[in-house]
Amino acid sequence: MRFITWLTILALLFATSCTKVQVPTVEVNVTQVKELTLDPNAAVWDAVSLHASKMILQDLVEPRLLEPSTPEVMVKAITNGSEIAFRLEWLDESQSDMPGPRHFIDGCAVQLPSKLDPNVPAPQMGEVGKTVEISYWRADWQAIVEGRADNINAIYPNASIDHYPAEAKPLENNPQAQAETAARYAPARALGSRRSGPREQPVEDLIAEGPSTLSPAPNSFSKGKGVKTAKGWAVVISRPMPTGFSAATPSQIAFAVWEGSHIEVGARKMRTGWVPLILK
Amino acid sequence: MARVNNWQLGREMSYWYPESRPQKQFAAVFDTNKCIACQTCTLACKTTWTSGKGQEYMLWNNVESKPYGSYPLAWDLNLLSLLDGQNWGEENGQSVYKGSTIFESAPAGERVLGWRPEDEDYAYPNVGEDDCAGGIEHGASIEIPHAMAWFYYLARICNHCTYPGCLASCPRGSIYKRPEDGIVLVDQNRCRGYQECVRGCPYKKVFFNPMTSTSEKCIACYPKIEQGLSPQCFANCIGKIRVAGFINTPDKAEADNPIDYLVHIKKVALPLFPQFGLEPNVYYIPPIHVPTAFTRQMFGPGTDKAVEIYRNAPNDQDLTSLLGLFGSTEAIMRKWKRVGDKAIGMDENGKELVNVPFKEPVHIRPAYDKLYQITRTNCP
Repeated sequence: MRFITWLTILALLFATSCTKVQVPTVEVNVTQVKELTLDPNAAVWDAVSLHASKMILQDLVEPRLLEPSTPEVMVKAITNGSEIAFRLEWLDESQSDMPGPRHFIDGCAVQLPSKLDPNVPAPQMGEVGKTVEISYWRADWQAIVEGRADNINAIYPNASIDHYPAEAKPLENNPQAQAETAARYAPARALGSRRSGPREQPVEDLIAEGPSTLSPAPNSFSKGKGVKTAKGWAVVISRPMPTGFSAATPSQIAFAVWEGSHIEVGARKMRTGWVPLILK
Repeated sequence: MARVNNWQLGREMSYWYPESRPQKQFAAVFDTNKCIACQTCTLACKTTWTSGKGQEYMLWNNVESKPYGSYPLAWDLNLLSLLDGQNWGEENGQSVYKGSTIFESAPAGERVLGWRPEDEDYAYPNVGEDDCAGGIEHGASIEIPHAMAWFYYLARICNHCTYPGCLASCPRGSIYKRPEDGIVLVDQNRCRGYQECVRGCPYKKVFFNPMTSTSEKCIACYPKIEQGLSPQCFANCIGKIRVAGFINTPDKAEADNPIDYLVHIKKVALPLFPQFGLEPNVYYIPPIHVPTAFTRQMFGPGTDKAVEIYRNAPNDQDLTSLLGLFGSTEAIMRKWKRVGDKAIGMDENGKELVNVPFKEPVHIRPAYDKLYQITRTNCP
């Protein structure tokens, strides 16, 4: 009788553990859901198949990343028919979300071909005539959209600033003059560079036709949310469904991760090759 | 990498892009012997260009006390320690750099040899101010000629290099050199703030703006240059240590071009750390009271001769007159000439911009004043 009891307990434990451990698939399977979520901790992700994407060094163009960091990124995907969301999770014990000299930011990106074609672009950010679309999430933008002040005191709490011309007394009742004066000392913002802020989303939409060609996408449509986990980051990036992507016509997807504390920025990154993207 | 000619090295060198010189090259000469480190230039620049959010720590222009001053901290020593020493040789009577530049010694996977300052390195912009090279013993007194420890002031802006390290470092091509005047700029719409330029500029004159996630740098006040005017840090220099203009290559040097005359003909103004390989276009008249063992590693093998020429300036009317034109007008002097005891600065069409006597009338007053029948003490 005692033997049967132990056998039952072991069987139950085994069955329980089987339900928790997902066997990764070799492709990214997109599960259809009623409602999309940007919450990396939402329950909807529990039932979605998992893809473990092995990462490799970006060592095609200088500056290259010479020492590997993030070994793999765990990916899940869902769609509501019109939008598609990807949940990326990877290990990174440090939290790098403060910009500054020699401070680099944790981030991740998903990349899709602009056009469905059996002859896919080069996975290293596409090639001439074969554009890729990139949605790029950054930890510092996440902090800012969640309410962290976008000023120097958020980075250096003890910083003391005498005066900004845009905040001069004679301008205090003239918001337009204040904005114009501030723009004089922020040329990137004056030029309308989306990257330079102010920021409403932690994700930036980009296009590329090969290394060194990364440019803002004509339209800004991606959304996202990232949360720091005990051992890394979990990030959801959503964007419109790729044109032509369906159950009958699969696509390809690639991923990149930047570990800020490892001086990863721009071309210094871990990346994957193309991975099949399949609508279930 | 392409092979390009760097006349400051006396040889060809490797560079990321082929040689492509601008139609004319913005350049400047700073006379270190005149600088008093009042920082008026620093403030003129700061209030004009970098008073915004994210620019708080930026000093596109700074003045540091050598040997100990540096902003950011140890910008020069850090790179010198990465380079394999300074080996200059001589071929056909010309100095030739035998060592490696930052481009030729780029490690695997990198575009240039460089290093990244940390935020603390920007926290002490005037560290070492007025600190002497050696200790002063109790009871020391001034001796002339100079027997005491030394220091001098080094005013620095972007060198608008012919072969910019920042431009070579940027993987996105966000930095460009204007073909019309050689001024080096960061395209604020294209820059993505990777800070590769900050790493790659050996002079550390590109700064990261954490508020806009872009890198920014000295723009040589190009809106003024386009109007024929000197940059703010030149126009506001109360020591009149600076002259702005345009430089030709040595083979096309023109004696009536102020910069060409000082750099190529008199060879009294020298580039800052030519061994880095960037062909910087701000030239310095080295301090004459500093041991040349120190200044030689900073300004190259022409230092001893430059000091000798400068010391002889009282006997050289042409040089004296041109030195007198420094800071005499906000307009950029494209040409100059000496007429008797006067130096004349001109625009590119030869029209006079300024006329400066370089010998002021001297009156020696007799000790006894006959008119008032009184004896006065002549004080200096």
